[in-house]
Amino acid sequence: MRKSTPYLLLLPALLFTFFVLVYPLAQNLVNSFRQVSLIRGSGGWVGVQNYAKIFGDSLFWLSFRNTLIYAIAGTMLSVLTGLGFALLLHEKIGRITSLMGFLYTIPWVISPVVAGFAWKWLLNDNYGIINYWLVQTGIVNEGITWLGDVHTALIGVIVARVWQFYPFAMVMLMAGLQTIPQEQYEAASVDGATPLQRFIHITLPNLRSVMSVLLVLGVIWSFNDFNMVFVMTRGGPINASMVLPVLVREFSFVHFDLGRGSALSVMVFVLLASMSFFYLKVLAKREAQ
Amino acid sequence: MNKVVRVTVMVILAFFVLLPFLWTMSTSLKPLPEVNRYPPEWFSPTMSLTPYVDMFFYLPFSTYTLNSLMVALGATILTLTFGSLAGYAFSRFQFRGKHLFLLIFLLSQMLPGASVIVPLFQLAKESGLYDTHVGLILIHTALLLPFVIWLLYGFFNAIPMEVEDAALIDGCSRLQALRRVILPLALPGIGATAIFAFLGSWNEFFFALILTASDSTRTIPVGIGLFVGEYMDVWNQMSAAAVLFSLPPLLLFLLMRRTFIRGLAAGALK
Repeated sequence: MRKSTPYLLLLPALLFTFFVLVYPLAQNLVNSFRQVSLIRGSGGWVGVQNYAKIFGDSLFWLSFRNTLIYAIAGTMLSVLTGLGFALLLHEKIGRITSLMGFLYTIPWVISPVVAGFAWKWLLNDNYGIINYWLVQTGIVNEGITWLGDVHTALIGVIVARVWQFYPFAMVMLMAGLQTIPQEQYEAASVDGATPLQRFIHITLPNLRSVMSVLLVLGVIWSFNDFNMVFVMTRGGPINASMVLPVLVREFSFVHFDLGRGSALSVMVFVLLASMSFFYLKVLAKREAQ
Repeated sequence: MNKVVRVTVMVILAFFVLLPFLWTMSTSLKPLPEVNRYPPEWFSPTMSLTPYVDMFFYLPFSTYTLNSLMVALGATILTLTFGSLAGYAFSRFQFRGKHLFLLIFLLSQMLPGASVIVPLFQLAKESGLYDTHVGLILIHTALLLPFVIWLLYGFFNAIPMEVEDAALIDGCSRLQALRRVILPLALPGIGATAIFAFLGSWNEFFFALILTASDSTRTIPVGIGLFVGEYMDVWNQMSAAAVLFSLPPLLLFLLMRRTFIRGLAAGALK
């Protein structure tokens, strides 16, 4: 066997990874210190001007806040919903449990674009079935313009995100529930623990490591998520639901300012890289246990 | 909890979980006056498959479907070819830098699309690959490769070394051994990986949106995501497109539930 064989086998995959992932990261950094227009091409070096513009832009801070809310609220609600479903499905009661497990996982399989589309239609102010139900049951007097109102647009997008993401948490938590030794529950029952006490003192502590992985992973993925916001609101109305990945597109391809778009994406990258680093730490800690 | 109560709760929950999809299906079968009707109704006597036919004629979804199929098939073939070479190298060889390369592939999977899009756009423009099928195929291949390599690496590891040693002793070259002995044995795993790769490309939206500009290259998700604002008045045809587009993932999920769940847990299709 020649020494070069494994490298030759890896070469095509490495080339792809280099051109699509490594080179763009470096080029992005270069762009971010230049004046680059989509129409007029590259201009000269401008130092940290692109970054300064972003830091001074209230739209950036609004998007940053929205992204944090979207990522954190969306993930926490997904994990809670997933936990509820996992507990419901944990105690098997015949074939129906397995059928329900299948049905509850469907949102994760559906494309995010379709999920966004379906929720947009469901939340439609005039013909949407959600408003119809809310009015019928007397919860509100008049239909809510969910995605068209600055106060509710982000909430609408988060609901769709939770719908799409909870199955992942559910599947992981179901696997986690199966690893809890039955003896712990039996011992607790002998000691006279109520179901609530067993849940708090046995189930939750045993799920802690799965939950921490889910939370970190979910926040990273949601922080990076472009699809749901773009499809449902495009960041509107008047930027009320703008998030950073959508803003990168806005700067680069709507305002044609590739330099500023690059600077923002470098910032997104740094934020995500530090979160990923944190995630690897969580993983390492989990392995160690 | 009482069994009857639990089953009732489960069924009611299933209805709410599936609500967005069921409502889209209902909409996809209605004529326009029924779609824009208040109060909304689940069923109407005028329901038909007409919107499914119309969207192919009035909206450009026949072109989008062809584009999606071409891109997803092309990306699957490329990813599987290069992915199995790399997975095989990782599984069968000890070499300098192995762990570093594995780490690079692992990390590149976490890379945010937004932080590579501008240079990729420039690269695509300069190389003439902007707004072409080939450009999208190459991008999707690069996006899917890390995950595919990790999956195949696992599948190849499960095949004992001895099988291959026997082939090498019989005079096969490394590539022959890979093609004639390892690949057939790993076929079920490769099949599952191919399906993940296909669906990954089929569902991909961000890069397909930004790196295409004309109907002759746009894929179905771009059509749905981009026109959800513009063709607002034809919710029934858009719904029909959304339902048809969701069929391949749903059918594959139905057929291979276990493999799917394992793949999901490994971080696919995010």
